[in-house]
Amino acid sequence: MNAQPSKLFKRKPIIIAAILLIGFLSIQFIRPQITNPPVKAEIEAPAEVKSILTRACYDCHSNQTNLRWYDQISPVYWKVASHVNTGRKHLNFSNWQNLAPADQKAILWEAVNQIAAGAMPIKDYELVHPSAAVSKSDLEVLKKYVSSMSPKQISGDTAKINAADKQYVHWQKATADQAKLPKALNGITYIPDYKNWESISSTERFDNGTMRIIFGNPTAIKAIREHHINPWPNGTTFAKVAWDQITDKGGNVHTGAFKQVEYMIKDDKKYAATAGWGWARFKTDKLVPYGKTAMFTTECVSCHKPLSNTDFVFTSPIEH
Amino acid sequence: MKITYILFAASVFVLSACNNRKPSEELLNKKAAIPASFNFSKAGLKVITSSINKKEQTMSTLYGNDLALKTAISGTTSYPPGENLTLVTWSQQDDDRWFGAKIPGDLLSVEVVKIISSNTGSITTIYQRFTGKKLIKDIDTAHQQERINYIFSQKPSVMP
Ligand code: HEC
Ligand code: HEC
Repeated sequence: MNAQPSKLFKRKPIIIAAILLIGFLSIQFIRPQITNPPVKAEIEAPAEVKSILTRACYDCHSNQTNLRWYDQISPVYWKVASHVNTGRKHLNFSNWQNLAPADQKAILWEAVNQIAAGAMPIKDYELVHPSAAVSKSDLEVLKKYVSSMSPKQISGDTAKINAADKQYVHWQKATADQAKLPKALNGITYIPDYKNWESISSTERFDNGTMRIIFGNPTAIKAIREHHINPWPNGTTFAKVAWDQITDKGGNVHTGAFKQVEYMIKDDKKYAATAGWGWARFKTDKLVPYGKTAMFTTECVSCHKPLSNTDFVFTSPIEH
Repeated sequence: MKITYILFAASVFVLSACNNRKPSEELLNKKAAIPASFNFSKAGLKVITSSINKKEQTMSTLYGNDLALKTAISGTTSYPPGENLTLVTWSQQDDDRWFGAKIPGDLLSVEVVKIISSNTGSITTIYQRFTGKKLIKDIDTAHQQERINYIFSQKPSVMP
């Protein structure tokens, strides 16, 4: 009677080890799939640019994922598979040519900014794969490459001027009250009152040839005045309006056609799933809601995510 | 084993560094601020348009009261008394949060154009210019008419 428990006691570590080993071996059979479909429409870029992307990004953003032996062992493998499958969904350099040229450019600028902000390549991956790190000089190469693609501004660009004039005449005649306000796919309604809010900043975007004004509603203005802007209080709403740039003969740039208005509405409970903000974008003066499904917000959150330590907000507000 | 610990510690460090919220004070664009004493906000002005001067590397926003906005949209060149048009100009700086953007830097000037009617019924246009971070009133009166014409010539931005 006495001997038995001690015997078991002695065996216990072995049993535990055996259970763990069996557990470890059996989880190796739980394998989310990573397939490498054929590469049909890969990005074309100068060799020095492509080699950086291949080395630092292709594991998660192409159909040419190269798993090392240590990536293949569960549970590490699960994490890797999730990175790869989500990464590809967001951005896949193997399907690059299927994107519209404007979207390609926008994503490259975003990529440079994600790297500059330290968000890409994903940090836990970089720790295990140090060769994927993007050095300062690599980043300069990428910055130079995207800058070479920024739209050239021609003074007196007649196509842009005509588009702006046409819109202007239409707007000038429009009556203030719009019968039915457009609604984004996530249920957020266009807010016409933004133009009566105070502006908190402006930007010149030389990446895409637009200029913008960022408006804040009274809750936002109060928070700025009280210096309580991280996090921003619930009810804060921003509207960012973008126009074409029109350059005149003297090199002065004025606003051309209205491109879009975008909103961020703070409510940490209602919008908990999208970083605490409700997102919406309405395009052109016809105010067409942006996105194919309500999931368009993942784009917004992805690009604003490196700003998580400033409550996902880019703008540094100007007090007045 | 040791390497695992180091990696673990490092990743905890990286993650915690990312989640540190920056204090609100550091997030304001201090250089560009309009001094509270100017009572800009109290004037209740609305955005009319904005512009960029590439040569000077400056950016400006034109504000106006309801009357000024209405006149500007209508396109008329007869400016009624009570109008207030205010042009704020900043130097530009690179946006350190977005490679691809420039944002306002130092506050350079605020120019105010007001239309007033005296009690004799005559209508006059007043131009005032305030410069520098503290918005000191400028006593130089050269180029006033030129500036008034420039400010009046601004077309409002389309805001549906
Ligand atoms: C370990 C996998 C991994 C690596 C390596 C990686 N990414 Fe990502 N990337 C992701 C995942 C996952 C997402 C989805 C968003 C998220 O979870 O943050 C993403 C999102 C992005 C996005 C946002 C796309 C969008 O609009 O939805 C960009 C841009 C991006 N990555 C660029 C890069 C670049 C450039 C590199 C190389 C320097 C890189 N990534 C390396 C996994 C990775
Ligand atoms: C490719 C990156 C990117 C994507 C995608 C993106 N934004 Fe932004 N957003 C920015 C940048 C950069 C700014 C800073 C202002 C500027 O330079 O235009 C900004 C600013 C804003 C602002 C002003 C408040 C702030 O954070 O500064 C709003 C509102 C906004 N975005 C809404 C949206 C919405 C809605 C979506 C999705 C439909 C979206 N954004 C998608 C990059 C992005």
